[in-house]
Amino acid sequence: MSLAVAAGVERAGGTGPGVRWAEWQLALPLLLAFLAFFVGPLLILVVVSAFGDEKITLVNFAMWRKFLNDPFYWKVTGNTVKLGFLTVAATLLVGYPLALVYLAARPSVQRLLLFIVILPLLTSVVVRTFAWIVILGREGVVNSVAMGLGLVPAPLRLLQTELGLVIALTQIEMPLMLLPLLSVMNRIDPNLRDASEALGASKWRTLFRVTLPLSLPGLVAGCVLVFASSTTAFISQSIIGGNRLVYLPLLIWQESLVVYNWPLASVAALTLLISVTAAIAAISLLGRRGMRHLHA
Amino acid sequence: MTIHPMDRRAFIAGAAAAGGLALTRPVWAKGGVTAAIYPGSWDDAYRSIVLPALKRAHDVDLDMQPLFALDQIAKVKAARRAPPFDVFVLDPGPRVTGINDGLFEKFDSKKLTNISKLPEGLADEWGVTVAAQVVGIAYNPKKVPAPKGWADLFKEPWVSRLGLTGFQTTYGTVSIVEIAKVFGGSDTNVEPFFTEIKKVLPSVASVGGPAAMPSLFQQGQCDVMYTNTQTVTTLRSRGVDIEFVKPETGAIAFFTTMHITKGAAEPANAYKYIDTVISKDVQAALMKAPNYFIPANKEVELVDLPMKNLDEMSQYVRHDWSKLNPLREGWIERFNKEVAK
Repeated sequence: MSLAVAAGVERAGGTGPGVRWAEWQLALPLLLAFLAFFVGPLLILVVVSAFGDEKITLVNFAMWRKFLNDPFYWKVTGNTVKLGFLTVAATLLVGYPLALVYLAARPSVQRLLLFIVILPLLTSVVVRTFAWIVILGREGVVNSVAMGLGLVPAPLRLLQTELGLVIALTQIEMPLMLLPLLSVMNRIDPNLRDASEALGASKWRTLFRVTLPLSLPGLVAGCVLVFASSTTAFISQSIIGGNRLVYLPLLIWQESLVVYNWPLASVAALTLLISVTAAIAAISLLGRRGMRHLHA
Repeated sequence: MTIHPMDRRAFIAGAAAAGGLALTRPVWAKGGVTAAIYPGSWDDAYRSIVLPALKRAHDVDLDMQPLFALDQIAKVKAARRAPPFDVFVLDPGPRVTGINDGLFEKFDSKKLTNISKLPEGLADEWGVTVAAQVVGIAYNPKKVPAPKGWADLFKEPWVSRLGLTGFQTTYGTVSIVEIAKVFGGSDTNVEPFFTEIKKVLPSVASVGGPAAMPSLFQQGQCDVMYTNTQTVTTLRSRGVDIEFVKPETGAIAFFTTMHITKGAAEPANAYKYIDTVISKDVQAALMKAPNYFIPANKEVELVDLPMKNLDEMSQYVRHDWSKLNPLREGWIERFNKEVAK
């Protein structure tokens, strides 16, 4: 995930091919740490996944076969990816208008908005997640208000549903969407919007033909971050989603820490890695298409 | 292709080497011991009661590593040659895993001065009981009538207010086993539970992870659940309307035990630590608010518990975890598949 973003930044920044050795040396500590603490464990994960028994003695890819031949695991993988896309769609829908408001606001209001956006990052994910239990619960804030106003006859079921989980994740992941989006939108030359309107384009046309395409890099980065973060949000998924919604992170936790089936846990972890990477690649590709369309 | 078990051990050790860097232990000036402890109430209680008591009695410093039972097993398995702590604290399931995988030193209960104050049979060659847990049904008396037994959970008015949790925890596993028994199952056959749950699943109020259950109950998301007495007393002390019921087929009891890690760095201090834990004063303090532990020392006078003395627990339902353990993985997988939407 961070790689894809980093690569995007590098392209945008235009670092030439002639990076000298001295500059490489500066990156060396990070590179070594990356090799030791990410690439190394990842290789171990791949090797462990090839074993077929819990005692890790037999290499026969039995866990891969078990995983790939069971429709349940396909469903879990599908639901995990679906959760990612739903959260991306919801954060986009709520976040983009907010970004537009930010763009149009006075600097003092902008600072306030930025603070509100960052606020969720300043509290622990556990606290935020438990707060959502209080909000979405049967006797929670949403249900009390809705029933008090006579909108619903019985409490709505929000907690432990996909809808409730997406609502909570939208708030939890919002900073990841807005921060890249705001930084890119802030750099859009306001003259371009003025020119568009001066040339007779409506506000909507200006939005869709000028602002939106120019904000695409931020949009893509935001989508990638939100997708990766929401599909792997173990705490929110298990606490707000409950155990009837099974996603890959829950499966990985159960297999590795409850039943010690490390090979199956590795298979689930790699499946998560592969499916998230594939989805992120798709998002980036769409984004790049959009940008090419803009330059054409 | 087969790999010799030794290779696997070396392989895991290698894999853990990087992680091992993070597991450096403190260097003791005088004497110390590193003990794993359950996060949350155990961690808080031991920090405030056992830590000062051990320092006072033996001048030994206690360093605690907050880890759930299963995490302790996983960590010691991964770092076999340099165990990150000297003392395990485990529920019966993980205890059997630890014995089978050779993670414990042999335990000599004669080294404990307080051993005579424990009821018979609470110490063996692998470790000693330091607390008990009693599991039954908890309900909100303001919302639903008192259920009589496990079968009631699957009937109205309880089923639509029921909070379920699966086989990830000891209390969840034994509760489901008991439910299965009421419907014709046994310690090793939980099939009747799955048959029954399928019928009522759409009306069940919530299915949650173990850590979320107290919050779900507190927030009124469910008004009936199976849980231990400690959770009930803790929630009640926070003003939640909650009562404990012994099911008519009997409440479930299981013991939390301590074990000395194979290759422990401070075995002598480990015995001193365990001896302090089971001493009368410490056990009595652990039973009081806000900790509500069920003591293992029979000299402690019991307060606010479903039994009058510790011997009464011998009538409670017990389970043979050497039989349950091998089946648990299949049960967890089955639970996932049956309850998943």
